Amino acid sequence: MAEKRITIRATRFDPEKDSEPRLQSYDIPFSDDSMVVLDALNYIKSHVDGSLSYRWSCRMGICGSCGMMVNGTPKLTCSAFLRDYYPRSVTVTPLNNFPIVRDLVVDMEDFMHKLKSIKPWIIRKQELPLGAGEHRQTMDQIDDFRQFSQCINCMLCYAACPVYGLDDKFLGPAAIALARRYNLDSRDQGIKVRLPVLASSDGVWECSFVGECSVVCPKGVDPAKAIQQTKLDTTMRFVLPYGNRE
Amino acid sequence: MSAEAKTSARTATKTYRPAMGAGWWTKKRHYFLYMVREFTALPLALWLLWLLYEIQRAGRGPAGYYPPRSTAFVIFSVICLLFALYHSFTFLKLAGVILHFKVLDKPVPSGLIVASQFGAWLVASIVIGAVLIGFGR
Amino acid sequence: MDFESYDVLVVGGGLAGIRAAIAVVEANPRLKVAMVSKVYPMRSHTVSAEGGAAAALRPEDSYENHAFDTIKGSDYLADQDVVEAFVREAPIEVIQMEHWGCPWSRDPDGKISARPFGGMTTWRTCFAADKTGFHMLHTVFQNSLKYPQIHRHDEAFVTKLLVEDGRCAGVVAIDMRSGRFDAITAKAVILATGGLGRVYAFTTNGNICTGDGMALAYRAGVGLKDMEMVQFHPTGLPFTGILITEAVRGEGGYLTNKDGERFLKRYVPNKMELGPRDIISRAMTTEFEEGRGFEGPHGKYMHLDVRHLGEEVIDRKLPFMRELGREFVGIDIVHDPIPVRPVQHYMMGGVDADISGVTPLAGLYAAGECANVGLNGGNRLGSNSLSECLVFGAAAGRAAAEYASSAKAVGANPVASMLGDETKRIEMDYLHKKSGDERIGVIREEMQLAMDAGAGVFRTREGLEKLTKQLGALRDRFERIKIEDSSRTFNTELMAALELDYMLEVADVITYSALAREESRGAHARRDFPERNDERFLKHTIAYRTDEISPRLDYRDVRITNFKPQARAY
Repeated sequence: MAEKRITIRATRFDPEKDSEPRLQSYDIPFSDDSMVVLDALNYIKSHVDGSLSYRWSCRMGICGSCGMMVNGTPKLTCSAFLRDYYPRSVTVTPLNNFPIVRDLVVDMEDFMHKLKSIKPWIIRKQELPLGAGEHRQTMDQIDDFRQFSQCINCMLCYAACPVYGLDDKFLGPAAIALARRYNLDSRDQGIKVRLPVLASSDGVWECSFVGECSVVCPKGVDPAKAIQQTKLDTTMRFVLPYGNRE
Repeated sequence: MSAEAKTSARTATKTYRPAMGAGWWTKKRHYFLYMVREFTALPLALWLLWLLYEIQRAGRGPAGYYPPRSTAFVIFSVICLLFALYHSFTFLKLAGVILHFKVLDKPVPSGLIVASQFGAWLVASIVIGAVLIGFGR
Repeated sequence: MDFESYDVLVVGGGLAGIRAAIAVVEANPRLKVAMVSKVYPMRSHTVSAEGGAAAALRPEDSYENHAFDTIKGSDYLADQDVVEAFVREAPIEVIQMEHWGCPWSRDPDGKISARPFGGMTTWRTCFAADKTGFHMLHTVFQNSLKYPQIHRHDEAFVTKLLVEDGRCAGVVAIDMRSGRFDAITAKAVILATGGLGRVYAFTTNGNICTGDGMALAYRAGVGLKDMEMVQFHPTGLPFTGILITEAVRGEGGYLTNKDGERFLKRYVPNKMELGPRDIISRAMTTEFEEGRGFEGPHGKYMHLDVRHLGEEVIDRKLPFMRELGREFVGIDIVHDPIPVRPVQHYMMGGVDADISGVTPLAGLYAAGECANVGLNGGNRLGSNSLSECLVFGAAAGRAAAEYASSAKAVGANPVASMLGDETKRIEMDYLHKKSGDERIGVIREEMQLAMDAGAGVFRTREGLEKLTKQLGALRDRFERIKIEDSSRTFNTELMAALELDYMLEVADVITYSALAREESRGAHARRDFPERNDERFLKHTIAYRTDEISPRLDYRDVRITNFKPQARAY
């Protein structure tokens, strides 16, 4: 019985040699129904072309390393099954809206900078001493922010966001969702501290609610929801500034 | 130099920035529908301008003239009604995403919020429709 | 020539590394810390840890209880003074994490909750749903962004420790983006590079777990301790090796064989599914060998059944498991049993370090999975590792801070020549090599399969001796690898070659250490020596690098304080 084969097209770009990226085609065995796009890339690297460069680590959808465009949609290649594409070919390109460093590797520095800018840590007026034990918190209170705490920083949402594509000063979905995670945490008192970044012209108000970020998010974070809720929140704080929860 | 600037300077190499292209919104159905939603603002704005013009005509014109007499305006109004309905439909659906509040410590399901918005829309439409038709008579 | 110079340099950006960096700065805010990691910190393999972090927080618990469970779990190979210090620090660290925002799951009264776990005689495993490692890593990482003294070097691949005048003086690292070789100097270096699971074919570990720090220390003359102690977790998904957390059993899951029997009643009748990992992995392997396992396209497996727990419990306590089942196996664990088999998961062995992370090389510290401080001995209890990273990451950080506060910096000249030598070595041996006919991926896969077969759950002298020969042949072939990637920019093929170099090194150490330990203890099970032998082997194996193929093995007595070694039955 003839073995199944599948064609993978991957972006190649070496800044030392190339002025622009090109697609290279590989024809590989599709030997197991559980194979994912990442398995295909690994096969190419191990057996066909060792120079193909890409990021990956956990292969179980939790480290966020392996985000790439697969047939035009941002995906975690460790969870994109070849059987969903076969017998069509699979085109793998680097995440949209980011500068390409090499092959399928993009520059993440802008994202790292934005992550830090929303001050993603518990901010309190008065720190509790360690000896006092834990802050009391109920499971209901955790439910308030649980969804927004699931972000694995894979950046698929930035690749999907046309606003970020047109203007990379936009704070972006993941950063705003993380800000909301802290704003909603009952232990945090830092809403006012995060406000200037969130309510700035490059903050939540750049978002015109395309909503594609939430469609592509592999962990169900729903950053679009976080952004719209933050818009409402910041507006209410502006309109009714008195008696606001910290 | 800040830590970030140092890092960037350390690792700065030539990168490639692909251009986004003007046709980005034709690439995905979701993007296309989003552009339609945003686009609805334009026909609605034009409709309002035309309505104002027709009202002005009615003010100057022969006795008994009123805007629905102009067939072109009626056709255009129907088209704009479709755009307006799409706009309202998408906007109200999104209310479930934007609004969140709890009753008795349990979050209200978004489906219920959306249903209430459509309900309110229906009621408002009926009331306003009745008033306009009443005045028309 | 100017080199970037710091007070403390941390290699590795996982839970132990980040915790160490924060501890340095909190001990002395005037110190400058570099955190050098070959991946962005959020990608560190801590992120995949699921079950929880053990700490004796509850009033019905006690330090003595946690210590005894850990020591018995280690099959008495743990250094008991280290364990006793660990159990006292763990609760403090858990509270510290909570203050930093970690979303620990709670009891109805709002206090941090705890779940039962393997080998623990009371409920002491604190958890954040079933994504504890993910939440802990993101908490410490985001918290670390607060400290301007911590300078991150992301995607910098360390190739060598700088040693001058008998002290560790920093590292040579390749900046992945530019391909540039950098010497980063420091008065103290903390290794926190994690495990080495990728020397095995079937492992829960991610691609980055290649034993880098262990190999680096080994090459700098530091011993690797108890390397034969490799943990096989009972429940990994077939084919992928993705981890199914012990918490599934902690919440009440059953392990059943082909006959529908909860077979553990014949091996650990008192603890059943909550026995220690080494015993359960051996039980499952024995059941497979005796024909009572399910047969599948990806090997034999058992069923892990949580259907009786109900959807509400599963969604509240094990939502990520449900997601993994759906995504990677196409099952819904609410209605289907989970296929599982033993999988390499953790390395008890590691860099020879003491209770404060101090190694025999002045200025070099180690913490987390890459270190062996004497906590886990022959077998680690589940949920002790996340606590271990915090406790010993902090301890190493504080010790390094104290050392760096009074140490002198190393001169620039010796550093420059070391950097030059290392750059030449890698260029000659890898980048500029013209000939070569071996593929990195092929050698790596053969090593992994050989390790699975020869240094797995059960070992024999013949199997281990054969493995040493196989590894020797692979090392010879490695000298003839071909690197197709000639670019300096983000050359992941060079990185793969360097990682394979590290892996072949540590695989050798595992194999020779296992050959020499002629007993069965903890996770090291010899068919030819099935009994524990306290007379000969109540000692740590310490392997030192030599110019020959095999390491020089030394032995050091285990430190006993309050718990005399007994027979280990559950």
